[in-house]
Amino acid sequence: MTASFATKRPWLTPLLLLGVACATPQKPRELEAFDNLRKANEARLPEVAKRSPDLMAEADRRSTAAHEEWQSNDLEESRVNALLAQIKLKTALAVLDQDQLKSQIQTLSGQEAKAQEELTGLSKDLASEQEKLALLQKYVEARKTAEADKQRLSQEMTTEQQKAQAEQERLSQQLAAEQKIAAAQLSMRTADTVDASQYAKPDYTTASEFLSRAETALKQNDYASAQAAADQAKKSADQAAVVAKPQYEQAEESSQNKARNEALARDAPLVPGVKVRIDPRGDLQRLVIVVPELFSKRAPNIAPGHEASLDGIASLLKKYSSYPVQVIGYTDNRGKSTELIALSAARAQAVYSALAERGVDTKRLMVSGLGGEDPYVDNRSAAGRAKNNRVEIVFLYH
Amino acid sequence: MTNFVAGRWWGAIVVVALWAALGGRAQAGEEDDLQRQIDTQRASAADLERLDELKAVGDEITLLRAWLDEAWNLRAKHEYDQCREVLDRAIKQEDLIRAKITVSKLRNQAQKHEATLNDLRGRIARTRKALQDTVDKKKALERTAQ
Repeated sequence: MTASFATKRPWLTPLLLLGVACATPQKPRELEAFDNLRKANEARLPEVAKRSPDLMAEADRRSTAAHEEWQSNDLEESRVNALLAQIKLKTALAVLDQDQLKSQIQTLSGQEAKAQEELTGLSKDLASEQEKLALLQKYVEARKTAEADKQRLSQEMTTEQQKAQAEQERLSQQLAAEQKIAAAQLSMRTADTVDASQYAKPDYTTASEFLSRAETALKQNDYASAQAAADQAKKSADQAAVVAKPQYEQAEESSQNKARNEALARDAPLVPGVKVRIDPRGDLQRLVIVVPELFSKRAPNIAPGHEASLDGIASLLKKYSSYPVQVIGYTDNRGKSTELIALSAARAQAVYSALAERGVDTKRLMVSGLGGEDPYVDNRSAAGRAKNNRVEIVFLYH
Repeated sequence: MTNFVAGRWWGAIVVVALWAALGGRAQAGEEDDLQRQIDTQRASAADLERLDELKAVGDEITLLRAWLDEAWNLRAKHEYDQCREVLDRAIKQEDLIRAKITVSKLRNQAQKHEATLNDLRGRIARTRKALQDTVDKKKALERTAQ
């Protein structure tokens, strides 16, 4: 019904609103601001009242008065009281803010001190760890450097060892070549001692050529070639020596024998009481020392007075000790042949014994008796027969 | 009787004159007193403005100055009671301004502490991380060294 009434009279609503507005004056701006301030800080009001009860009470009192004055249209007084209420409430809020901020600052200071302490501790720990790390890094670096040095030194050492080994190998090769050349030279000298250049000319020439090659190769540090050539030179020189040796020895022996034979031929006549003759038979040369009248007519023993001759013969035998020697006994031609042979053998044995007594090596003495064969002189005279009773010392040689 | 009446009139005149004279002197004294108060509070407002290094209460000081100007105007209009009311309000406003300046300084101090604390916390976090990194690096190096 009311709705329909109002709908039928639209001018009524603004009139009613104007009436209401005229009935209650407009709220002063200061009071509105106070109410807003209070509303905005409603949650904090209990704390504000607790901290500043006088201020809060004054604010409330002024607020109440302002509201009453506003209701009673005493707007100027309402404005003044609202302003004072605002000041009191703001002051109370500021006091509470101060307390809270002081408390906050205290808390923050405590936290700050703790944080500073923690930071100091951490900084110390960090410095300590960083120092350790730096030391460790230095250690690792030093170790790396040492490893690198070790490796480098090892490589250098290996290189040096390889160089030394190569040098040693080279020296070894050089030494071997020099030794082989020396061996070849020695073989050449050995070959020279048997006149290989004369008796084994091809081998000797080959050896000389190889030796020359070896020496050239050695100068050019071609040790392998030097060794090979030296080996060949040695082989050829040895071969030359082997080939030349018999011929050389034969020539040498022949020369020596000749000289010795000549010496024997010179020395033999110097023995007192003997006669010497050279009696060649084919290739065989015979130096015959005859001791005439060494025995009496039929005696098998040596007649006295022939010691000097025997001593001389013994010395000659000792001096020329390499000659095979025959001691041959003879008789004259009077008597049976068998008896004469026995007598001649006994006489030869007697001389053999006399020579043995004088220290002659008897192994090379060949004793025999030929009886009346090969008479030295004619048996027809007594003097001739006496001379045929003899012993001949025969040096045999070619 | 006439003399008596005349004498009374003269007495009344004297009394009125005395009252007027004394009243005038009292009015002049009150005016001076209000002026001193206003001057004192203006100086105080200037001091407060200087104290407000953080410019936290500029509006409140402007309001205070406006009220002091209002008080001065009221004094000039010889509306002493209203002038005193305004001055009384201005004194309370000064108290409020002082409290707010203190709050602003404390807040600034707290902010500085907070900033310092945050900075310290940041440094702690960085130092802790650096420490952890260093320890990790050291362990890795130790493993390498072995």
